[in-house]
Amino acid sequence: MMEFKGQKHPQSFFEEFPADSEWDVVIIGAGPNGLIAAAYLAKAGLKVALVERRYEIGGGLATEEILYPGYYSSMHAIYHMMVDYMPVLRDFDLGKHGLVWIKPNLQCSMVFENGDSILLTRMIEDTTDSISKYSFKDAQTFSKTMGRWRKIVNDIIAPMTYIPPMLPIEITMALQKEETGRELLELVEQSPLDVVTNLFENDRVRSLLLYNICTWGLDPRETGVGLFVALYLDRMMNKSYCQGGSHKMANSLGREIVRAGGVILDSSDVIDIHMKGGKVAGVELWEGRTLHTKCVISTLDPRTTFLDLVGAENLPSDLKDSIEGWHYDKWSFNTLHTVSEEMPRYLPKDPWASESFMTIFGFEGMDAMLEHWDNVVAGKLDQKCLGGHATCESFWDTHLVRVPPEKAHRQVSFFQHHAPYNLEKGGWDKRGPEIENMILKKWAKYAPNMKKENIVQTNQETPKDIEIRFPNMRYGSIKHGDYRPVQLGCFRPNQDCSSTKTPVEGLYVGGASVYPGGCVLGGGGYQVANKVIEDLGGKKWWKPTREMERCIKTYLGG
Amino acid sequence: MAKEETFDVVIIGAGHNGTTTAAYLAKSGLSVLVLEERPEGGGAQETCEPIAGVRIQPHAIGNYGGSAPGWEQLQLWRYGFRMDYNPREPVQFDIERGPMARHGIVKVSQEDMMGWAKIVGLTTDPPFYRDLLRATFWTPPHPSYVELDENTIPYMQVYRDHLPELWTKEMLEWTMFDIMEQYIKSEPFMIHQAYIANVSGAFAHFPGVGVPAIECVATVMPPAVADPVAARGNMHGYYHAIFRCAVGNGAIIKTCCPVEEIIIEHGRAVGVRLRDDATWGPKRVNARKAVISACHIKPTFQKLIGPKNIDSGLMQKINDLSLKGGSLHMTHFLTKEDLRYKPQFKWRKEEPHEFTGAFYCMENKEIYWKNLECVLGRQENLDIPPEECMWGMVAHTNYAPTQPQSTRPGAYVNGPLWIMVPTPEYNVDGLDAMDKTAADKKKWEEYARATLSCIVENLDDDNLIQIWSDTPREQEFRNTGMLGGSWYGTRCDRDEWWNQRPLPEMARYRVPDIDGLYLAHQSAAHPGGLCLMAVAYNLMHILIEDGVVEPGPWWYASPWYVPEEGKISAVPGQGRV
Repeated sequence: MMEFKGQKHPQSFFEEFPADSEWDVVIIGAGPNGLIAAAYLAKAGLKVALVERRYEIGGGLATEEILYPGYYSSMHAIYHMMVDYMPVLRDFDLGKHGLVWIKPNLQCSMVFENGDSILLTRMIEDTTDSISKYSFKDAQTFSKTMGRWRKIVNDIIAPMTYIPPMLPIEITMALQKEETGRELLELVEQSPLDVVTNLFENDRVRSLLLYNICTWGLDPRETGVGLFVALYLDRMMNKSYCQGGSHKMANSLGREIVRAGGVILDSSDVIDIHMKGGKVAGVELWEGRTLHTKCVISTLDPRTTFLDLVGAENLPSDLKDSIEGWHYDKWSFNTLHTVSEEMPRYLPKDPWASESFMTIFGFEGMDAMLEHWDNVVAGKLDQKCLGGHATCESFWDTHLVRVPPEKAHRQVSFFQHHAPYNLEKGGWDKRGPEIENMILKKWAKYAPNMKKENIVQTNQETPKDIEIRFPNMRYGSIKHGDYRPVQLGCFRPNQDCSSTKTPVEGLYVGGASVYPGGCVLGGGGYQVANKVIEDLGGKKWWKPTREMERCIKTYLGG
Repeated sequence: MAKEETFDVVIIGAGHNGTTTAAYLAKSGLSVLVLEERPEGGGAQETCEPIAGVRIQPHAIGNYGGSAPGWEQLQLWRYGFRMDYNPREPVQFDIERGPMARHGIVKVSQEDMMGWAKIVGLTTDPPFYRDLLRATFWTPPHPSYVELDENTIPYMQVYRDHLPELWTKEMLEWTMFDIMEQYIKSEPFMIHQAYIANVSGAFAHFPGVGVPAIECVATVMPPAVADPVAARGNMHGYYHAIFRCAVGNGAIIKTCCPVEEIIIEHGRAVGVRLRDDATWGPKRVNARKAVISACHIKPTFQKLIGPKNIDSGLMQKINDLSLKGGSLHMTHFLTKEDLRYKPQFKWRKEEPHEFTGAFYCMENKEIYWKNLECVLGRQENLDIPPEECMWGMVAHTNYAPTQPQSTRPGAYVNGPLWIMVPTPEYNVDGLDAMDKTAADKKKWEEYARATLSCIVENLDDDNLIQIWSDTPREQEFRNTGMLGGSWYGTRCDRDEWWNQRPLPEMARYRVPDIDGLYLAHQSAAHPGGLCLMAVAYNLMHILIEDGVVEPGPWWYASPWYVPEEGKISAVPGQGRV
């Protein structure tokens, strides 16, 4: 960053936001978690400032004109998996600001070169039907297993997202009390790959399920994360789309903050968290303004929060070590956004497959998928096994295309694949165009109309671009840090901080690097709001959701 | 059957004027709903990040609104409003940084600067520039029975009271050039000021709007606003403050909710019906007190009100409103190294000679007419050689160092470069002559590049990474308030300005024979565009007159406002007059 302290203009012609101001709470980062925390705390009567580096709030809840001019895309978070459970959606009437969710039954299709396809649907039996084309046994297994998993997710895992993290041993003891809980414990020790291969025999079925389970960064071979298998599969069958684009969720939350008297300062880079006598004293903005406060919530990644803003010298040594040992995501995403004359038309025998919310292609089987993931971890991409998922956004949302009438039939789509931040043989700057061609070649193979003549415009957002747009998604880490057992649950980001309260007095953390993690779960923001209101006092006007209360009562011993 | 909803006021369009109106009304205690067609509010106050780390301003760039009563009345600082100060840039107008002619920089003489300062009210003690600006923009047109002359027109009153030597009856007929010629000698300087007026709303060669044209320039220069003129977060940051003021005072703003129809019953606007594709559903929303259209006047009448509610005579007048003259082609350049001036265009005496934008080909009236004749006269695609094309351009160095326009490593962004072009609806080469095919788009991007290359030495293929451009027609469809790509709605000529804007019978924001319906779009209301918070302020006077709103003690009326007989005066405490 350029060294510059803001200066007061010699002839201010009207009143501006002051150079120094006092706050009960200052929240850094207006991503989903920062917005949620600010909305709860402002409504509780605290004086809240929410500061955001970008010109627009939302973080990953971004809908922007990245296919300029005239075509909008939710180029980051688009598949909302926790709409059914997020307390913030129960506690605030965001519908009054025009927030509308769509949850299509046809959630996902996986298509193959010979025209075969397999579907994953919101309603279990539609998936069962689709699986039965490949294996009657798998179909029955899916139908039975998914029913039980859905109960586990609904009763335990989903509500626990919004309950403070517990030690693994405490969870085990609690879960042993009930049959559903015991079944879940059997899963925990298995890897996603084990779970899928133990239960299912057909390769296409396995491929479909494993891709959905591992999309957000679970290592297929990692043991100890089996609990997420049930969660992700169930939630990937229940993805919602935010009409008008994901940014509408951010904007609705922003309106609730402002209505409750909170202040949002965007285009405000925080360059320092001020400390005084070992305690948090305020936040300094690059432009030269200081927000004085005894309570700071950071929703940024651990290195930015602790090393760049607080400073290593202000940290207990074990906390410093833990932050320095933090592992960022092992893979990121590369996304090719397109404007095309026609929407992608895949050539499967099942006509529904082109109209699913998400279409997976590129993998002819599970081995190819595993090879691709191994490649990604090794910094490679290979045309042969490159695969990922695509969505035609404008098929679900006509508001994304704003061009003259003779062009208004055009469609906005994207293809997204797991990708290394450090791409071998020259990196993204050099190989970006080559990778784009690789993708287009692959896309045309599965959707024959996606050839050159059909494509009007493209914009590729590489892992490097993710980091440029959202600097605390370091190394393109969309979750601010890897999902590995030592960085999950009460260990996220570490045992000292996973409750959201840190050893630095007055500093709280609430972003994707904190329990329960990223992907617009809205967990960190909710948990940190609970913690701060408990510590600072103030009117806690909200209660746990019904699902949370039932989970606490039934499984966690009240 | 969709559930009905009821608000005191329903506003159509969450652009600058609709949102500012919502802020004023919500602050006055009314329940307000704003319906916006696009996914995001802001209208012309936009910022985009088309590729990671590079921000561009497709529309409004500078803050023209520094003299608005809105800053005090709406207290935008409470909602986080900040201007950005740039230590690299001079605060005062720098005479070294004169206009650019084909051969290089033309220095402005001290005498000419003083001449300009005199016209805009800076040479008296105290200066009266703010009165002049407020009288021009922040005063509603007088009731139709008030005779308009040198004693009643607000800006003439200001000249009469502060600078009687300049005040003459003829001034009302003069063009901006006529006025400047009294006090300024340098032709390039005059052309420079004229060009800024042209792209800001009023043409310098139009008789009868000389003073408003001058004020369009004065309002974007020091001391009316700081130089540079960027709000933190750019113009969209300015919008955020207005938006949050509206929301903080209770207004509900819904995006992706286009309106199908203004419901008119027994001669009164009682609500709106949303379009089928509205995310809220095609429902009916009732308005207890008023419906305010802050979308373009043509669709307001042609579609939302519809022919069944107005006579064909009025519809003809609406159809005839001119969209001409406000259409700009916008280009942003992304390069590997920063742009560099050719030696003759370096305006600083000392290093570094950073690229700080330009106003180019500000040379003489011959070139001025050559450009205008093509854009307004022949109305065909530009056939002016690039070296004679008049344009203006903003550079990344115009923004504060703490607000970089590019945070993409190894990439510099400069723009927009704007060029006046014929309005698509009048272009004899066809509506889509500039953007029918990718090749057409490319042609105009190359034209912009060629004309910028008249002053820049390194815009070669090796250096250029990407160009983003938008044509007037593209602007129109991404931003429906910009019908015809016109930046200020309709032309600001003597027949469409002040008491004639948009038509004499609607100059006070009301619609004849339809009660409870008001107009607040730049195309439909005095003073038009420029994100001045002026339409909303002026409209407030009328809404108070009609008993729609009773603002709190924070409200004050324009000193030049004339209340309409029989109505409640907008001046606090005056009551019915």
